[in-house]
Amino acid sequence: MGSKREKSGNEGADREGEKFMEPLEKEVLLLPSTIKNKEKRSSIHAKLKHKKKVEKRKRAKAREAAEKRALELGDEPPPKKIPRTIENSREFDETICKPDDEELFAGNDADEFSSVLKQGLPPKILITTCRFNSTRGPAFISDLLSVIPNAHYYKRGTYDLKKIVEYASCKDFTSVIVVHTNRREPDALLIIALPDGPTAHFKLSKVVLRKDIKNHGNPTSHKPELVLKNFTTRLGHRIGRLIQSLFPQDPNFHGRRVVTFHNQRDFIFFRHHRYIFETKESKQADSRGKNIRAGDEKSSEKKVVVRLQECGPRFALKLISLQYGTFDSKGGEYEWVHKPEMDTSRRRFFL
Amino acid sequence: MPRTTTVDIPGCPPLRALTFDVLGLIKVIEAKGAEKAHAQVVERWGEPDSSRGLLASSIIDRELDPLLGVARKNGLVEILSPINGGVQASVSNINQAGTSAEDDAIVGLYLFRRKQLESSSRSCTFLTCTIKGNTIIRSIEVPRSQNDTVNEVTQTTWATSGSGDILCSKVDESENFALFGGKRVEMNLWDLESNTKVWTAKSPAKNSLGIFTPTWFTSTTFLNKDDHRKFVSGTNDHQVRLYDISAQRRPVMSLDFRETPIKALAEDLDGNKIYVGNGSGDLASFDIRTGKLLGSFLGKCSGSIRSIVRHRERPVIASCGLDGYLRIWDIDSRQLLSAVFLKQHLMAVVFDSYFRNEEVAFSSMDLPPEAIRSEEEDIVPAKRKKKSKTRSGSKKHSSGKRNKKSDLE
Repeated sequence: MGSKREKSGNEGADREGEKFMEPLEKEVLLLPSTIKNKEKRSSIHAKLKHKKKVEKRKRAKAREAAEKRALELGDEPPPKKIPRTIENSREFDETICKPDDEELFAGNDADEFSSVLKQGLPPKILITTCRFNSTRGPAFISDLLSVIPNAHYYKRGTYDLKKIVEYASCKDFTSVIVVHTNRREPDALLIIALPDGPTAHFKLSKVVLRKDIKNHGNPTSHKPELVLKNFTTRLGHRIGRLIQSLFPQDPNFHGRRVVTFHNQRDFIFFRHHRYIFETKESKQADSRGKNIRAGDEKSSEKKVVVRLQECGPRFALKLISLQYGTFDSKGGEYEWVHKPEMDTSRRRFFL
Repeated sequence: MPRTTTVDIPGCPPLRALTFDVLGLIKVIEAKGAEKAHAQVVERWGEPDSSRGLLASSIIDRELDPLLGVARKNGLVEILSPINGGVQASVSNINQAGTSAEDDAIVGLYLFRRKQLESSSRSCTFLTCTIKGNTIIRSIEVPRSQNDTVNEVTQTTWATSGSGDILCSKVDESENFALFGGKRVEMNLWDLESNTKVWTAKSPAKNSLGIFTPTWFTSTTFLNKDDHRKFVSGTNDHQVRLYDISAQRRPVMSLDFRETPIKALAEDLDGNKIYVGNGSGDLASFDIRTGKLLGSFLGKCSGSIRSIVRHRERPVIASCGLDGYLRIWDIDSRQLLSAVFLKQHLMAVVFDSYFRNEEVAFSSMDLPPEAIRSEEEDIVPAKRKKKSKTRSGSKKHSSGKRNKKSDLE
């Protein structure tokens, strides 16, 4: 149907086009940006844009029609095209972890987090701030304290960070988190694994506190479940393990709390949710229409639906550097630092 | 416009390198045969075990009977064959005085080339230096078979430092002098014949603000092959210092390089150039005669550089470090020739420079490389000739035109 109409439309356009497409074509040839008269330029630009829009709509309609016809005839619908995104056209990276890599697992067993991750040690987190901390900083920290179990806030005072690290490792803390604020806005996060683990420095952005999220839930004190997504490369794997070591490895599933760290294009998105499984009478029959209701009575059986409620906070992290050993700004050795020369392509990712 | 293709890296000349990592694995990387070949991992020796992590290495790079020494985290020193990785001898470095291997890790290892025992040809002398400054020179007889016990012949021990931690050590080419330095330990030179301290450096004067930077050496190397008097050292506060024993006890020259500690130093063969690697993965070459930066090696190197080596014959250096890559660079163009991902934090790299001989022998069996080369050479001048012909033809043509024009006029 659609294709037929499209064809006839095309033919009509062709027939008429011979007469008045000529001036249009001339205009197409000269780019609107080269025209100096603004009125003319904008009118031609608008025309071009409209033409493009019409064509796009036509194509979409044709596609839809083809799909519909295939459905009616019982054929295989034409394969859905996969849009080309930056992620799926990512540059080849040899550091991506493979599931059958025995060196990776041996490395995991030997790394700094294995004592926590093998459930030998319960994680104990010290949260502190930069020297000057006000407004959104403390609010963000109080949100973090409700997210991470067994986290303790210590006032920074005038102590050196190296001294704090030393103190924390003496007191059997397993990690230190430093929230850095700039202009009363949290803008960086430092995660230090103790006693000799790496130090990750993140840029913190898009912070939305719990109280600013509409219809937010209030988390319980259960141990949350942890979801780490898309940490694919060797470096990503390490960062993932660093984050994993902040949370207890035995979640209370009846608490129905999930903490998600989702990596996308090297940005790590943090979300905190409560979920609930609800058994519902499915209302699909109503929505479809009344004519098929009689036959569809059976399908309105009980269905399990998952609902999510966000608890907050919400923020995004971007890795700036990963330092070998604990915090040492002057004599530190880096495992990975972001350098401007590494940004050779938009399709190159490190995590 | 986004780039959709990756930049391909030019291959490197045939070479063979061995890398040592924290899991105790030794990996053999070879770039084979034809020019512009990519380096690849060909062999892996050992099983991953973090307690056997490698700390230091040394190679006797010779055509006949090369030897490779490695020091492990658990205090073992192993003598291997760099050709097939077979363990020939292993000696424990732990003293009887109840110090554990973790506390007193080995930081330096050197296999002596020239010192051989007269009694037997299958002996090996090596120097080990631990972080607390216990330096031991040992001669061992390499057992004929696996079952024989290692026969220690001689042993000399002395303490290099009283207070600080030794972090770097180096033995010069004549094998008579050794350098030590570290945290709170000034660079000092020892005579290995008599086991006495010959020379100690003096820390540089306070700066104009009266601030004194504490001593903390992280790497060192002798500058020249036949001169033990000049050496360079890298410090934790990103300085490269040139010392000359015959001149003064303070550094002759000191250069600043970027902002993270200098972690690796290597000298060029002629002793005019040095290669400097630091804690944030910057690699550069300096002309040490003038102290000028010649240029940086750019190649997306993101992790701390732990080791740099210069190839003995080819104009190539290799660097490796915490980012798990072995990178091979051209020293003149400072271009990355090849990068191999080796998965672990790498501690050291060495070149096996007699590899080429084997390679030629191999390649001559199936295809003589010279034949290919000569063919290529034949083709190239032929093309050039053609070009020149066409050019001359066009010239003639144009001149003809001109003539015509002139005729018309």
